[in-house]
Amino acid sequence: MILRSLRLRSFRAHAETGLEFAPKVNLLYGPNGAGKTNVLEAVHYLCLTKSFTASTDRYAVREGAPYFEVEGTVAGVREAPVDVRIVYVPSEGKKVFVNGAPLDRLAEIVGMLPVVVFSPEDYDLTAGGPSERRRFVNNILSQARPVYMDDLLKYRRARKQRNEVLRQYKGRRESPPSSVLKPWTEEIVAIGSRVIQQRHDFLNTFSDYLTDAYRRIEAVAEKPSIEYDTVADVEDLRAAGATTEAESGPPASREAVAAAFRDALDRKRGSEERRGTTLAGPQRDELVFRLDDLEVRRYGSQGQHRTFGMALKLAQFFYLRDRADTDPLLLLDDAFGKLDRRRTDVFLQLLASDDVGQSLITATQHRSFAEALDFETSAHRAFRVDRVEQKARVRPADGGTWDDRAATDIEAGTPDDRDVVPDS
Amino acid sequence: MQFTSESVEALVEQFTKLPTIGRKTAQRLANYILKMDEEAVEKIAEALLAVKRKVQRCSTCHVVADRDPCPICSDSKRDPSTICVVEESSDLLAIERTGEYRGRYHVLGGVISPLDGVGPDDLRIRELARRIDPDFASDGDPPPLDAVDADPDGEGLSGGSPSGASATTAGAAGDPGADASPKDASPEERSNGADASSSEDADEGRVNEVILAVNPNVEGDTTAYYISQLLEPFDVSVTRIARGLPIGGDLEYADEATLSRALEGRGDV
Ligand SMILES: [Zn+2]
Repeated sequence: MILRSLRLRSFRAHAETGLEFAPKVNLLYGPNGAGKTNVLEAVHYLCLTKSFTASTDRYAVREGAPYFEVEGTVAGVREAPVDVRIVYVPSEGKKVFVNGAPLDRLAEIVGMLPVVVFSPEDYDLTAGGPSERRRFVNNILSQARPVYMDDLLKYRRARKQRNEVLRQYKGRRESPPSSVLKPWTEEIVAIGSRVIQQRHDFLNTFSDYLTDAYRRIEAVAEKPSIEYDTVADVEDLRAAGATTEAESGPPASREAVAAAFRDALDRKRGSEERRGTTLAGPQRDELVFRLDDLEVRRYGSQGQHRTFGMALKLAQFFYLRDRADTDPLLLLDDAFGKLDRRRTDVFLQLLASDDVGQSLITATQHRSFAEALDFETSAHRAFRVDRVEQKARVRPADGGTWDDRAATDIEAGTPDDRDVVPDS
Repeated sequence: MQFTSESVEALVEQFTKLPTIGRKTAQRLANYILKMDEEAVEKIAEALLAVKRKVQRCSTCHVVADRDPCPICSDSKRDPSTICVVEESSDLLAIERTGEYRGRYHVLGGVISPLDGVGPDDLRIRELARRIDPDFASDGDPPPLDAVDADPDGEGLSGGSPSGASATTAGAAGDPGADASPKDASPEERSNGADASSSEDADEGRVNEVILAVNPNVEGDTTAYYISQLLEPFDVSVTRIARGLPIGGDLEYADEATLSRALEGRGDV
C-alpha cells in the first residue's frame, strides 16, 4: 500500500498539517518535541484506530480543541485509491470512515491498511515481560486474521465475566457452584483454545520468516527460534498421531488444545478460588526467543537484543505482506538512534530496495539519511518539522534546502521563512 | 447554553436518564418540546404513562403485551410444541417480523452476566423449564444440573443478596430495551400460565423443541450453554439459531470475522 497524502487536524502538536508522501522513503526530521512522531501516530490511528505509544485517545486531541481528525488517501489496497478518515470526539468516541461511509465497528478497518512499527521500544520485545511478546503476536494476527481479533476480544470479555464469578464467591468465602462457574469455564475454553490454536499455528509458520529476516540484517550463522509456552506442552496440542517435524510442526488440534486448557483450569481451581481470578489460559502465554541455544531475554547482549527486535519486526513485515498481498507500511520512529553505523546502513539499503514498500521515518537530523538515500529523486522525500508558536510546522525539504538549525534560529534569522524553504 | 427556566432544566435532566441521550441531545429535545403544540406534547406524555400503566407481561412467555395471555400464547394456530427463547421482547418482535416462525416464545429478560450482577436466577430460566415440565424443581429445590454439589445461594439471590440487589439496577441500566423489570412475574401469574397450557390436551401441550435465539456474544453463548445443560434431563431437543450473514448484505462487503464464522458454522444445503 502507498499512503499518498495525510491530513491532521487538532492532532497533538498539529493544528492543521497536510503532507504528500513519496512512494518509498519519507524522512521527517527536526528537533525533539516538534511533532515528528505525531505524524507516525496519526498514520497508526488510520491503520489500527489507536496509537503505538501507550497514550490514550484523549491526549491525542490538541489542547483546547474539541476533537481530532486524521485523513489519508491510500493506494494499492483496492482498485481505486481509498480515503480513510478517523475522527475522535472525547464524549462520543472514535469513528472510522472509508470513502465517506462510516464503519459499524472500528475493528473492521484493522488489516485493511497493514502497518509495522519500528521503535526503540522494540528492545522490550526480547528484554521485557511476557505481555510485550503477547502484544506482538496479537498485533500481527489481528492484522492478518480478523477472526483472531474477534476471538481475542471475546476471550477477554468472557475471562472478565468468569473472574467476576470467582471474585464474588471469594468475597463470600464460598466455592462457586458448578452450575454458575461451569458455563463460563466452557466459554473461555471454547474461545481460548481458538486463540491458542491460532497462535500455535502462526508461530509454526512465522519461525521461517524470522530466520530469513535475521539473515538480512546479521551475517553471522546464529539461528533464531521461538518456543511457544502455553497451557500445555506444544507436542500435546497436536492431533493424536501427528508427528513432530523438524522445521515447522503440524497444526494444533482444537480438541487437544481444549482438553489441555480444561485440564489446566481443573488443576488450578483451588488457587483460582482463593485468589478470585482465572489462572490458566492464553493470557499467561509466553514466547521464548533463542539464538541457537542462547535464551535472548536472559543472556543476550545489547546488540543481540536490537538485532532480534529488528528481525521480529522485519519478519512481521514479510508475513503480513504475504497474508495481505500488499506491502505493509513501515513506520520507523527514531529507530536508528541507537543502532550502530553498519546496521543503520544495512537497514537503509533495505528501505530503498524493492524488497519493501513505503516507509515513514523520524530522526533528529538528516545527515546519515542524506548520505545513503537520494532525496533528489521522486522516490524519496524529506520533511522538516519544527515547533513554531506552540504548533507543529511541516515543510518539504530537498537536497538543496537541508536545514538542521533549530526553528528559533530560522525565525530570528529571516523575517519570512518562506524565502528560505520554498514550498515545493 | 444557559437555561433560565427551571422546568426546562428539569426536562433536560430527565431526558439524560434515557440511554444514548447525552446532555446536548437532551437540550435539543427539550428545545423541540418547547416549540411543539401542547396537544402533541400531551400525546407523548400519555404514551409514556400508558406504557407503564397499561402494558403488562404475558404470564406464560413474559413478553410485554396489552393483555395476558398475549396474542401469540392465546393463538391456537401457533405450534405449542416449539418454544423460541429470546433475550428481550424486542427480539421477539424482530423474529415475528420475519413471518417465518409459527411456534411460541419465551422471553428471558436478559442474559447471564456476572459483571452486570445478573445470574441465572435473575432470568426467567426456571419458568422456561417449568413450561417443559411443570414438575420442574419449584423455587425451594436446587436445579437438577450436574450441580448436585449444591447451590447454597440459589435462593439467596432472590432474597435480596448483594448480587440479587444489583441485578435490578443492572437490568434498568444495561438493558434499555422493553424489559425494565425482569422479576415482575408474580407466582400467581406463573401458576395461571401453567394452568392455561396444561388445560389443553396433555400431548398437545408437550414441548418438543427449544430454539435458543440469544445473541452470538459471550453472554449469549454462556446463557445458551446453561439452558442446554439445565434442559438436558428432559426429552426435548435444544437448538441454537445459526449465526450467519446479514440478509441483503453483499458477501463481498460482509465483515470478515462474520464471514469466517459463517463458513465455520456452515450446514448442509
Ligand atoms: Zn405469551
